[in-house]
Amino acid sequence: MSKLLTVRDLVVEVPARNVTIIGGISFSLEAGQTLGLVGESGCGKSMTCYAIANMLPRGIARTGGSIEFACDLLKSGKAADPTIAMIFQDPTSSLNPVHTIGYYLESALYRHQGLKGNDARLEAMRLLERVGIDRAESRLRAYPHQFSGGMNQRVMIAHALAAKPQLLIADEPTTALDVTMQAQILHLLEELKAETGMALIIVSHDLGVIARLADRAAVMYCGKIIETAPVAELLLRPAHPYARALITCMPSIDPADLEPPVPIPGSVPLLDSLPGGCHFHPRCSRASGECAAHFPAPAMIGPVHEVSCFHPVAA
Amino acid sequence: MTGFIVARAFRAIVVLVFTVTLVFIVLRLSGDPAQQMLSDNASPEALAAFNAKWALDRSIFEQYLFYLANALRGDFGVSFADGREVFSVVSERIPKTLALTVPAVILSLLIGIPAGIIAAVRRESAVDKGVMAGAVLGYSIPNFLLGLVFIFAFAVWLRVLPSSGSSTWRHAILPVATFALFNAAAVARFMRSTLIDVLGQPYIAAARADGVPNWEIILRHALPNAAIPMVTTLGFVAGGLLGGAVLVEPVFAWPGLGSGFVNATSTGDLPVAQAMIVLFTAFMVIINFGVDVLYVVLNPKIRKH
Repeated sequence: MSKLLTVRDLVVEVPARNVTIIGGISFSLEAGQTLGLVGESGCGKSMTCYAIANMLPRGIARTGGSIEFACDLLKSGKAADPTIAMIFQDPTSSLNPVHTIGYYLESALYRHQGLKGNDARLEAMRLLERVGIDRAESRLRAYPHQFSGGMNQRVMIAHALAAKPQLLIADEPTTALDVTMQAQILHLLEELKAETGMALIIVSHDLGVIARLADRAAVMYCGKIIETAPVAELLLRPAHPYARALITCMPSIDPADLEPPVPIPGSVPLLDSLPGGCHFHPRCSRASGECAAHFPAPAMIGPVHEVSCFHPVAA
Repeated sequence: MTGFIVARAFRAIVVLVFTVTLVFIVLRLSGDPAQQMLSDNASPEALAAFNAKWALDRSIFEQYLFYLANALRGDFGVSFADGREVFSVVSERIPKTLALTVPAVILSLLIGIPAGIIAAVRRESAVDKGVMAGAVLGYSIPNFLLGLVFIFAFAVWLRVLPSSGSSTWRHAILPVATFALFNAAAVARFMRSTLIDVLGQPYIAAARADGVPNWEIILRHALPNAAIPMVTTLGFVAGGLLGGAVLVEPVFAWPGLGSGFVNATSTGDLPVAQAMIVLFTAFMVIINFGVDVLYVVLNPKIRKH
């Protein structure tokens, strides 16, 4: 399969404060594939997405590396590539409060597909129905504050579909929703992925979400990808001590599993005072002198399993 | 909507009655009108005659009831100074004040809104810093002082505009400019901060991510949201013009409500002063009512309830 997205040595910094948010990460994504980005808050998952969608906030800039989408290079400072669409953690605040759902969808349909007037309205209704919102005709006249968070996330997804994206970036799409709604949204994303063949990058700190949707997962820590593997492989045989700790942190709902989740000692370091070498070494029980001196180069430990660790946990 | 209007109207009446009462008491406590009106060496008989003529020898409560009853019928009494109906003394000054304040509001919006938008869009650029420096300067200079500076510059030094009076439209230029610059500065500052706040909202980032062009982000996505808090500022600006009139009109000897109010209070012409304060209050109530209605029109979150 052809590569849809190739990210090489991506570096994102706050130039004014000389803080590195993403310290050189590389990954690629094939058409129709789903990549999960996992990690704790502040590890750079969202910033990676913003960099790909070319929507880094003010004062934060891509200072190194390349992002190749299909065959065209995304140039920094240009508008986001129209075939990448993005949905966000808090759908209600991502929708403009003064516009109706209809305006929101129809203006996107005009922008991406050139549809106007009645054509745009009919297509907007079709999209709303596709994402599971009934009585679409009257819903087009509604405002975001009249919808629940789950419905607004459906609207965001309908809006993303209006762009006919080759890649959908979902940044914590279910974090702000309640559990039953989470399941529905995940199910919807699965269906749409199968239907449209679009690739998906899903960001979550919830390994359950990643396990359900992603083909491959990349674990991030302090702006670095420390392990990449097929999801099942990562969950069953994590090689990096951090990935392993993250997985054992997950509370189990199996009543037979009496072992309490094991917390990771210490706390995530601040980005402006990252420890040298492997950023995880102060919290790692397997760390040696080498770990404090150098960041371990990524090494293949399986056909598609890559890890950046001097002392990986044996399978 | 009808319930909303009825509730607001009732509140307006309560505010007006309260203001009439407060003003009545404060003005009576602030000095003896007979002594202010008549010369310092007026005889005790003359003072007593003055007090008897205007019922000032009755108890303050009696005077209040008498005044309130007449005011509710639209009769604000006659001026102590020249015996003319207060109603006509005040109403002939209204168009004069409107002739300054209406162009001043329009001008301050025409200057302040675009300046604020440009400053917000080109945030932290030289343009932004220039606009904001100008705004802080305009906002910090007391408007009567700005008026004096204008008189000095354009009437005394350059000799291109008249310094006082109201006989031609050229007389209005300096007072309107004084009002407008001060308020344009306030509008620009608030427009900038409101727009910057809106531009930082997630829905703006989402629109950018979707490739909405920049002009459309500003015009269609940001400004309709920024308009909601701006309406409040507009109310303050319009209301502040009346207070400003008291300071600016006397500087230019402009015969509007502001000068009239200063004259009436300094000569102890209580009926005129009182009627003007009631009028100012009524203006403020109407402006606030307008702001509330605009709020409902602009904000879908309130509109649907």
